[in-house]
Amino acid sequence: MVNYKTTEFIDWCPSCGDFGILSSETMALADLGIDRSKTVVVSGIGCSSKTPHYINVNGVHTLHGRGITYASGIKLANPDLKVIVNSGDGDLLGIGVGHLVSAGRRNLDITIILHNNGVYGLTKGQASPTLHRGLQTKSLPTKNINDSLDPLALALTAGYTFVARAYAYDAMFTKEIIKKAIMHNGTALVDVLQPCPTYNNINTKEWYEKRIYKLEEDYKVGSAEEANEKMTKALIKSFEWGDKIPIGIFYENNLIPSYGERIAEHIPAYFTDPPSKQIIEQNRRSTTDISKLLKNLNV
Amino acid sequence: MKITWMIGGEQGSGVDTASVLFGKAVSSAGYYVFGNREYYSTIKGRHSYFELSMSDKKVNSIPENYDIITTFDAETVFQHFKQAKKYFIYSETKKKKTIDSVLGMEPETKKEILDFMAANKIEPTVEGVVKYLNTKNINTIAVDYEKIIREVAEEQNINIAIAEKSMNTIAASVSFALLGLDRNFLIQAIANIFLKKQDVIQLNNLAAEKAFGLVKPVFGLNPLEKQERIQIDGNTAAALGKIAGGIAFQSYYPITPASDESVYLEANQTVDTKNENNYGTRSIVVVQAEDEISAIGMAIGSALTGARSATATSGPGFALMGEGLSWAGQTETPIVVTYYLRGAPSTGLPTRSGQADLKFAVNIGHGEFPKIVLASGDHKEVFHDAILAFNLAEKYQTPVIHIIEKAIANTYSTLDIKDLDYSQTEIDRGKLADPDPDPEKQYKRYALDAGPVSPRVPLGRNSIAWYSGDEHNEVGHVSENSTNRTIMYDKRMKKLELAEKEIHDDEKFNVFGDSNSENVIITFGSPKGALIDIIDDLSKEKIKLQIVQIRIFTPFPAKGLAELLQNKKRVIDVENNYTAQLGSFVSEYLHISPTHYILKWNGRQMNTEELKDAIKRIINNDEKRIVLSDGV
Repeated sequence: MVNYKTTEFIDWCPSCGDFGILSSETMALADLGIDRSKTVVVSGIGCSSKTPHYINVNGVHTLHGRGITYASGIKLANPDLKVIVNSGDGDLLGIGVGHLVSAGRRNLDITIILHNNGVYGLTKGQASPTLHRGLQTKSLPTKNINDSLDPLALALTAGYTFVARAYAYDAMFTKEIIKKAIMHNGTALVDVLQPCPTYNNINTKEWYEKRIYKLEEDYKVGSAEEANEKMTKALIKSFEWGDKIPIGIFYENNLIPSYGERIAEHIPAYFTDPPSKQIIEQNRRSTTDISKLLKNLNV
Repeated sequence: MKITWMIGGEQGSGVDTASVLFGKAVSSAGYYVFGNREYYSTIKGRHSYFELSMSDKKVNSIPENYDIITTFDAETVFQHFKQAKKYFIYSETKKKKTIDSVLGMEPETKKEILDFMAANKIEPTVEGVVKYLNTKNINTIAVDYEKIIREVAEEQNINIAIAEKSMNTIAASVSFALLGLDRNFLIQAIANIFLKKQDVIQLNNLAAEKAFGLVKPVFGLNPLEKQERIQIDGNTAAALGKIAGGIAFQSYYPITPASDESVYLEANQTVDTKNENNYGTRSIVVVQAEDEISAIGMAIGSALTGARSATATSGPGFALMGEGLSWAGQTETPIVVTYYLRGAPSTGLPTRSGQADLKFAVNIGHGEFPKIVLASGDHKEVFHDAILAFNLAEKYQTPVIHIIEKAIANTYSTLDIKDLDYSQTEIDRGKLADPDPDPEKQYKRYALDAGPVSPRVPLGRNSIAWYSGDEHNEVGHVSENSTNRTIMYDKRMKKLELAEKEIHDDEKFNVFGDSNSENVIITFGSPKGALIDIIDDLSKEKIKLQIVQIRIFTPFPAKGLAELLQNKKRVIDVENNYTAQLGSFVSEYLHISPTHYILKWNGRQMNTEELKDAIKRIINNDEKRIVLSDGV
């Protein structure tokens, strides 16, 4: 039995929602029987971005907000790899939101797991982009006066082809969603609602568990004609927040070509001879021949 | 012999095409050329121009003044007439144009020109300029462009608006005809430029034929014997060097003057490969990222998988890459950033040149980490340095910054094909674990038992690795232990010491001229060309020079340079910036301070004449700091 957890000491606060996401993710990898050496978990900076060190696959712990960019480079250069990004709401929706949006335009086959707890944990509880206006969590000196971003609506309009929400303390449900996200051929966003027991004293375990319910919608786009309708439904659903909070898969569209497939339209050998696999030297001499290109410059 | 030429006109009116046409025609007749493009940060309307030196020997710099000035609009007449030496071609129908009718001219420029005109009693019209030039014994040639265009339209039975597109060809042809070279060189160049567009070729051929007959072949040049040659600009040289060096991935965000390199790579993404007797192809993935932060992140991600990966940018974009470069330094990831220098600070002079970012390149990224910074001095060096940059990045597992100025990116020169020979150039992929480590054992990415450079296993092989921008242990997991910190920090920094020892002196700096001279010039980048071009002239005037062009800045080649610079009477520092940044490195590392400075920061590269004049003033008058300001 392959162990998908490392023995590194996990330095999250007791009962942090990150534990639930970590368990769900490692269980998902185990269920899928994914080759550890062919999997890369990439993160940014923050509590949740320590995740790569706790999962026994390749780990790339990058810069605040930039995990998606590194993940994109890895996947583009070696499309055989399964690439997963784990980062927080401050990381992905604050400093890194440009990358989150741009990823939707490409539909590169990567999975983004958004650890969403409404606060910047590692810097002691400032408001994150998902904290609703008017709330004052316990480390905030005043009420939050910014409106919140809805990561699902953002992902849907940005072009994500798999959009889902899970809840960190429901590990089995989250695991199933992560599995589907990983197997989806395109950019997938899994927004995982997650209490922060240390700094978010409003959106607590009790608060969430009174409100969340599981979607039973037909979320999958079956034909190009119904894409708009399905997306509109998903968008409306994504705005549901208050007494009732839906979790589950909101939208899935397998009809949009992935970025790799788009590249392969120009480079037919892309999947068999991607950048990471190219032999560029023999006996320490270049094997690339530029004589044809030089001919074009002849005078 | 050397003949200098320029053509100017509204941006978007075909100045670029005319200059390539003229350059190719001259080059194919066996002459070497060096050309420079000057343009505003705009697409249409503003004044742009192209200047060129041609010679039977290699030529490496731009001139101050021109033997032939080619114009077809009024603004070029006003902007450049002071630079006329022998022939001045202008539009017959624009004779009455006044300087006030030129709308795009900046008020500062207009005032300068009007002041000069007032001082020299020149009427501020094209006609007035022509009269003035005639008093200076400059041959003025009026061309009725509109008449030729009308004839072309009639004979080809095409719309006049289409025929007008040959205006630039007419201008290039008139000036080419002055040279006395066979018109077939021009016709071939037209075919070469417009490729298979038969109607365009026909139109331009006809225009060229008509223009050719207008002047006499006064320069009386003959075609020269030549070997196989190319005409290449700096962006293309960088792209070709990267291709030859094995680039497999490039990410970029559009920025002047860097993006032409990435666009070339994308347009030529599938390249030939030759492996013993197997012929094949491989393809480079080129990605336009959402910003430069993403561009560097993607390139680093790709580098982690083992692909030779790079990005290309200019000042504002490079500023955004600092954090990524710091991460690459900390995680020992081989990455190449091609850094095109332009006029700074901020947006500065986005389409002009400068060398004010040398220290920025050397110091970019928070914290201390090994970083190798190279700067090329000409197109040939750009090509070879692009290969070298990958080798150094992989050998020392660290970021390499390759500096190319706009003055090199947007100039072109004629090279012998053998200048770009890389058949004997080593491709050094550095320390890769071979065979891959036992997957049952934990791979240590930062193993300390192998010296400062640990064996690398790219992501996707059978090992598992961790990379973190946090301080980390041998495995790659976060560690804040103080002893580990001391050791890991030391391991990284030691790579720079290793690089200093291992990199050859001829890759660190070039030395030209007279080693016995009491005068040594230190410089980097584009001034190299002008310095090489004046060394013989100055020698005839009894001024001997030794020139040291520094090509690598970290690790700084202090030892090798000290031997060259010590005991010299004059150490003259030549740079395109205000604070003499290279000079301060020399002071810091060698404890030898430059005695004289030649500096320029107006966005234009140094030309042959102004540099020659400045050196003479230093030698003869002991002027300590000369600021150059030439250039339109």
